[in-house]
Amino acid sequence: MLIGGLRKSSANWKVCATAKRNDSFASTTTSLHHLCIGCDCAIDFYCWLIGAQATTCKSAPAAGCSAGKESPVSVGYKAVGWNRQKRIYDFVLVAGLVIYLGLFIGLGAVVNPNATIETLLIRGFGTCAILLLHIVLCIGPLCRLSPSFLPLLYNRRHLGVMTFLLGLMHGVFSIIQFHALGNANPLVSLFISNTRFTSLANFPFQPLGFIALVILFFMAATSHDFWLANLTAPVWKALHMLVYVAYGLLIAHVTLGVLQAETSPILATTLGVGMVIVLSLQVLSALRERALDTEQADKDFVQVCSVDDIAENRARIVSLSGERVAIFKYDGKISALSNVCQHQNGPLGEGKIIDGCVTCPWHGFQYLPASGASPAPFTEKVPTFNLKIIGSKIFVHPQPNPPGTFVEPTRIEVPKMEAVR
Amino acid sequence: MIVAQTIVWLLGIYLLVGLIFAPYFIIIGAGRIDPTAQQSTWGFRLIIMPGVIALWPLLLLRLLRGVRHPPTENNAHRGAAKK
Repeated sequence: MLIGGLRKSSANWKVCATAKRNDSFASTTTSLHHLCIGCDCAIDFYCWLIGAQATTCKSAPAAGCSAGKESPVSVGYKAVGWNRQKRIYDFVLVAGLVIYLGLFIGLGAVVNPNATIETLLIRGFGTCAILLLHIVLCIGPLCRLSPSFLPLLYNRRHLGVMTFLLGLMHGVFSIIQFHALGNANPLVSLFISNTRFTSLANFPFQPLGFIALVILFFMAATSHDFWLANLTAPVWKALHMLVYVAYGLLIAHVTLGVLQAETSPILATTLGVGMVIVLSLQVLSALRERALDTEQADKDFVQVCSVDDIAENRARIVSLSGERVAIFKYDGKISALSNVCQHQNGPLGEGKIIDGCVTCPWHGFQYLPASGASPAPFTEKVPTFNLKIIGSKIFVHPQPNPPGTFVEPTRIEVPKMEAVR
Repeated sequence: MIVAQTIVWLLGIYLLVGLIFAPYFIIIGAGRIDPTAQQSTWGFRLIIMPGVIALWPLLLLRLLRGVRHPPTENNAHRGAAKK
């Protein structure tokens, strides 16, 4: 769940990575035209995300990341890296929410004419928030199962923040409705008005929702690259993994709360189906991921795969030294680097080489395959690995090199017979 | 009742300190601990404000320690590369 990214303070784009980090890579060709003076890889990355054919920015000279051009641009944060695709994404999101709330409140008023507008709003915001949370939780495993879902991941941060805002509206209206009219502080009242913890039918479900909302607040509040950089990706990800705790609390909040009084099976069935979908996708993607983590313990070079096992400009992922390694094939060469992107720990090996750079499939962060370093002016670096090719077999040394260490790419020897042909 | 009141009272104080700290941090402090924040927009500064209010002890500690750059993450490969 992230809101913003980085910006460049100059329009003088020279290095493809500068365009990528701006999050403007998802712009249309119209807006890219002036952003993409240096190269066309921004278009390439977005087209790859949406599965379309790339269109080249005609004004751009043929420049790759590996050209190593220095850029005079400076880097800074901005609130949201808006571009046309993000606007469309958010427009669809907000329109969907408005339609949902309109239908929920409208139909609710017809079906249950005794319900007050406050009750309908509370239920509308609550159901909408939990629906969005299900979608958010499905996007991650879906992307691991199929790259065609990656465009949803690209802007998932906005879905997450919207989930929190809807939950907040639900919480605020509920507290006003049920706790603001007494003598006690409304927040105190939330925790002390019902203490029947031993009763399943009358369990105090409201504090469960409040704790879930606090977790969602921390996630939404840290949904910016500033926090990602300053908390570091592993800490940030651990914090954001609390979404599963929030999900569990919310399921308990709904089950012990509104479902106790609900006579219609629709809500219970919908919630059950949602839980089954979320859990199934998580288990399926976990099983798929586990297959990648079978590690060979060795102190010397480890045979990992054959040259032919790797598609051009793509990678083969293996597990070495307690983490995954991405072995890329490009331009008749092989390079190996740590699979963990420094931005959000995205899977670099599931990305591809665009304009000479390994490009993370999640948000387009880039690294030079030989050194694992981002092109200037960016400073991210990942560890690299020594490797050798014997025949067609690739052997990787399990000892990682310090992040950003240049390792001469190993050339793929073309068999003499094939070369003659 | 008293326990709940005390918790809410302490939470209020915590958030109040964060609210006082936040304007200083978004104007000056952010740029001190993260050079990328020095040339950032006002939109960015406002959008990190809720997080600053919530996590002010961490940020204050970084400022007091004179940290000038964000920390570098650690994982199995980075750890092994140091050996």
